[in-house]
Amino acid sequence: MTVDLNKLHAVGAIAEEAEGKWGMVIDQDLCTGCQACVAACAMENNIAFVGEEDAGYGRSMHWIRTERFWEGEYPEVRMTDYQPMLCQQCGKAPCEPVCPAFATVHSQAEKINLQVYNRCVGTRYCANNCPYQVRSFNWRDYQDSRIRPEITILANQFNPDVTVRRRGVMEKCTFCIQRIHKAQDKAKSEGREVEDGEFTTACAQACPASAITFGRIDHPESLVSQLARMPHTQHHLEELGTLPSVTYLKGA
Amino acid sequence: MVRKFFEWIISPMGRIAALIAGLSLFTLAAYGVFTLQQSPEQPIQFRHDIHVNLQVQCLYCHPGALRGASPGLPTLTKCWGCHQQIAKTDTSPRLAVLKDYIANGKDIAWVPVAQVPDFVHFNHRPHIAAGVNCEDCHGDMSVQEIAVNPQVMNMGWCLNCHKEKAGDDEVKLTKLTDCGTCHY
Repeated sequence: MTVDLNKLHAVGAIAEEAEGKWGMVIDQDLCTGCQACVAACAMENNIAFVGEEDAGYGRSMHWIRTERFWEGEYPEVRMTDYQPMLCQQCGKAPCEPVCPAFATVHSQAEKINLQVYNRCVGTRYCANNCPYQVRSFNWRDYQDSRIRPEITILANQFNPDVTVRRRGVMEKCTFCIQRIHKAQDKAKSEGREVEDGEFTTACAQACPASAITFGRIDHPESLVSQLARMPHTQHHLEELGTLPSVTYLKGA
Repeated sequence: MVRKFFEWIISPMGRIAALIAGLSLFTLAAYGVFTLQQSPEQPIQFRHDIHVNLQVQCLYCHPGALRGASPGLPTLTKCWGCHQQIAKTDTSPRLAVLKDYIANGKDIAWVPVAQVPDFVHFNHRPHIAAGVNCEDCHGDMSVQEIAVNPQVMNMGWCLNCHKEKAGDDEVKLTKLTDCGTCHY
C-alpha cells in the first residue's frame, strides 16, 4: 500500500529541499538584546503572562526569546552575540510527524508550520521533539482572571485576529499569519500581488535596530532573499536536516 | 438499611418508582439542554422580511461585508435615518421600542445570530468577492420574520463549499482547504 503524503500533509517530513515561501533573516550583529521583539510578539499574538509561580516551573510563554551565551572560563568570561530564537518554520519539521492529532501540520499554501488550536489535545510530543525549544504550552487558562488573580490581564488590548488559547493547548510562532492573510486580502481586493516590505511580522516591526527582516524567500529579488544569500549566513542546528526558514547573519 | 432498599427496588413497585424517577430526570435534563440552545431575545423584534420586501439591500445595513471581516450590525442612527420620515413609526407598537431608544440615546445591543467560534477567523470580503450571495449562507431573509440561523455553521459545511468552488484548480484547492486559512 502506498500512502499519499500530500494527502496526509506530511510531505515536508521527507522532503530533501524545503519549498520555502515566507522567510526571515536575523542579523545578530545588529541585535542589541533589547527585548522589543519579545514584547511586540506577546502583544500581537495574545500571549499570556504566566505569573511568578508558573514561571518558576519554567512555564513562561514566549514565541520569541533572546538567548545569550557565555564563552571562556571565569574571570575571562565574554558574552556572545544576542540570539533571538523563534520557531524556525522548518521545511522538514521534527514536530510535525510526532503529533497524534495532526494538530501541527505543514501548510501547503503558506509553507509554514501550523498549530491548529482546536485540534490540539495537549500531548506535548511536538515540544519534546522541537530541537529549538520554541513551543510553549498553556498549563492554565491564564486569560481567566480567576486562575491567577495576581496577573494583570490586558484583555482590552487582545488582538481580535488571533485566537485566545485555552488550557491544554500548545502554541508557537506563526510568522504572524494573521498579518500575512490581511496583506493578501488587501492585495487581492486591489487586484495585485503582495509587494515586498508591504507588511512585516510584529517582531520585525518593533525591532529598533532593524535586525529582523521578513518577506518572500522564494522571490529572488526580495530583501530577505538578498540578505539570505550573504556569505556570513548560518542556519541553526542545520546538521539535523530541519531545513529552517530563518537565517542568521553573524560576524560580518 | 442498604439491603432493605435493594429488596424494595427489585420489587415491582420499586421498579416502577425507579422508572418514573429515571424518566423525570431525563426530561429535566432534556429541558435543560433545550433551554441552553435558545438564543437570547433580540432587543427589537426586527422584521427582516418587511425590510427586504421593501427592497432594502442587505449591504445598506450590513455594509462591512463588502469591505472587511465583519458585516456590522446597524446602529440607531441607521434605523432612524429612514424611520423618522415614516408615518408608521408613530403608530406601530413594535416601533415604540425604537422611539424609546431614540429618547434615551441608548445603543441597540443586537444579538448576533450567525457566529463562528473564536478559533475560526471568517472574513466576509473574499466570500462576497467570489460571488457568494448573502442568502447562500444566511437563508432567504425575505421570508424570515426574526432572523434565525438557517444551518449549523460547522467545518464540514464550510469545506463542502470550498471544495466545490475550487473545482479542479489545485492551487485554489490547496489554499481553500489549508488549516491555516481559517485557524490561527
